[in-house]
Amino acid sequence: MSENGAMLQVVNLKKHFPISSGFLGRQVKLVKAVDGVSFTIDKGETLGLVGESGCGKSTAGRAILQLQEPTSGQVYLMDKELTQASPDEVRELRPRMQMIFQDPYSSLNPRHSVGKIVGEPLVINGIMDRGSKELASRVAELLELVGLDPVYVRRYPHEFSGGQRQRIGIARALSVNPDFIVCDEPISALDVSIQAQVVNLMQDLQEQLGLTYLFIAHDLSMVKHISHRIAVMYLGKIMELTDRNTLFEAPLHPYTQSLNSAVPVPNPKLERRRRRFILKGEPPSPANPPSGCVFHPRCPLAEEQCIKEVPSFREIHPGHFVACHLADTEGGSQIPAGTVLASEVD
Amino acid sequence: MSTVLEVNDLLTRFHTLDGVVHAVNGVSFDLKQGETLGIVGESGSGKSVTMMSLLGLIPMPPGRIEGGEALFTTDDETHDLLQMSPADLRDVRGGKIGFVFQDPISTLNPILTVGEQIAEVLTRHLDLSKQEAQARAIKLLASVGIPDPELRYDAYPFQFSGGMRQRVVIAIAIACTPDIVIADEPTTALDVTVQAQIADLFRQLRRELGVAIIWITHDLGVVAGLADRVLVMYGGRVAEIAMVDDLYENPQHPYTIGLLGALPSLESRESKRLISIRGAPPDLLIPLEHCPFAWRCDYAFDRCWEEIPHLLSVGKRHRTACFYDLEKGGPRDV
Repeated sequence: MSENGAMLQVVNLKKHFPISSGFLGRQVKLVKAVDGVSFTIDKGETLGLVGESGCGKSTAGRAILQLQEPTSGQVYLMDKELTQASPDEVRELRPRMQMIFQDPYSSLNPRHSVGKIVGEPLVINGIMDRGSKELASRVAELLELVGLDPVYVRRYPHEFSGGQRQRIGIARALSVNPDFIVCDEPISALDVSIQAQVVNLMQDLQEQLGLTYLFIAHDLSMVKHISHRIAVMYLGKIMELTDRNTLFEAPLHPYTQSLNSAVPVPNPKLERRRRRFILKGEPPSPANPPSGCVFHPRCPLAEEQCIKEVPSFREIHPGHFVACHLADTEGGSQIPAGTVLASEVD
Repeated sequence: MSTVLEVNDLLTRFHTLDGVVHAVNGVSFDLKQGETLGIVGESGSGKSVTMMSLLGLIPMPPGRIEGGEALFTTDDETHDLLQMSPADLRDVRGGKIGFVFQDPISTLNPILTVGEQIAEVLTRHLDLSKQEAQARAIKLLASVGIPDPELRYDAYPFQFSGGMRQRVVIAIAIACTPDIVIADEPTTALDVTVQAQIADLFRQLRRELGVAIIWITHDLGVVAGLADRVLVMYGGRVAEIAMVDDLYENPQHPYTIGLLGALPSLESRESKRLISIRGAPPDLLIPLEHCPFAWRCDYAFDRCWEEIPHLLSVGKRHRTACFYDLEKGGPRDV
């Protein structure tokens, strides 16, 4: 991709969950949570992964880190293929790839002090010894790095606010000097004023340490702010992938266009004169996805072909990938102004 | 336009084992007929407790409404909601004041059909027969955008998606043609495309029913497109209240400025660093004798640590609780 080389490459990643029911626990259905996702992330880059609840974005993050074994597909962390690695090998690679979780309350052990939480990955991975001076000074350094006073090492998670806890989670992820971090909705549980603190911290750390992020979120405006490129997911598939400005200025997929128009903007004048197309209905269940293009039941442009054939995820312009039949047809895939006007839904 | 609701110096506290939680500390505002008022604040700012106090929904104990009045005018009669008997208040709730909460699944009764739940409100408040109530409930389901309302009348809440459930809750809220609908984070639990649908439904209701709406949220984006006026709460107090355009273009409280700065812009091509507000919201267990925002404020000076700022008029229908004049770059002369 770039001269730096890709930090992470994901090829046709799938994660299916069987649903069993009945007396013998027969498998009756397959939830295709992640159904053929491909992208690369360069070193030092942030790729935003957005989508509505149930689109499979978090499952994708977990499958990439091998926290859940993918059903098929390949994941490469630099030159190592994670999907072929043995559990021991994955464990050895773990320090290079870390995760920051959404809920700063349930992701920290309430019985462990901050010092133990932040230092544990170093001990587990055999990098430093428990109780060593070296470890204590590394923990202090990490706390300082994320903007917490090192005197807090003996305190417990309940003594901190949500934003501070998220800083502890970030310090823990950084302890082992990772190259790549999956950030799974790291700010959605936080208040607005605290969100900005955490996002600024994550950007500063990326600059200082050359980190590569996969930033999973549902808040488009924050994703646009932090990401270099953005992938939009819908029902287990990536609908569109391009750089942040193109995604907002010239989105090709009708789903991206409607997502953009649904995001509220904190500007009353702009908000009043905005052209909106509000989608009908809600995302279908991934246990029972629609035929053809999974978006076709909600798409104002859907044609015969969209109901029958699954569109391929292809590069329409350099660096701009989209999975829509209409994207390279003559008519194009732009939702015309006034197609589905506000207040006319249903 | 006449005023439907006037709240003066509302004071709500919770007497807990850890101490007294000063949740709402003298909140005042008014609501005009047909107006949409956005109430914005972070968790613990007192925005929900304010509304629960008005509706008599504060659990007592530990809660206690220790002062203030809430004058509600309907049919040319004015009553203080805080002085009403529980029975009278039950007539108001769901009748003249409807409400919509954040989580539609816990608002609806899981063992009654949605139709029964709407009809129940109608028979309780409007004295309709069972058949009349059913017919009207079906109309209401249709008006909030539920397809096949006759069929869906007999469905249970679990058979609806999140957005559809919230539509049912809204149908219940508007069932008795209320004067006010109070919506507490009605879109927070929903996906962004569904959020847009619900926000749009509220716009339609306001247009068609002329109902006054109080929209409580932490999201300055949603409010921008919906509200006529916006009230910003902080630490159980009103920090600033202004007409919507005025608030976003000419904020006069450092907290409002911080909140707006903390939001990334969708329009700009360059990713500017977000303005963050340092520190965290105040601990409501400690009674404050000074500005609740002083710790986090870049403009705080001696006076901010000595007394509590009250709302000062700084423009047409624009009031702020701040001693610092941002335009002048120094303390206000009051």
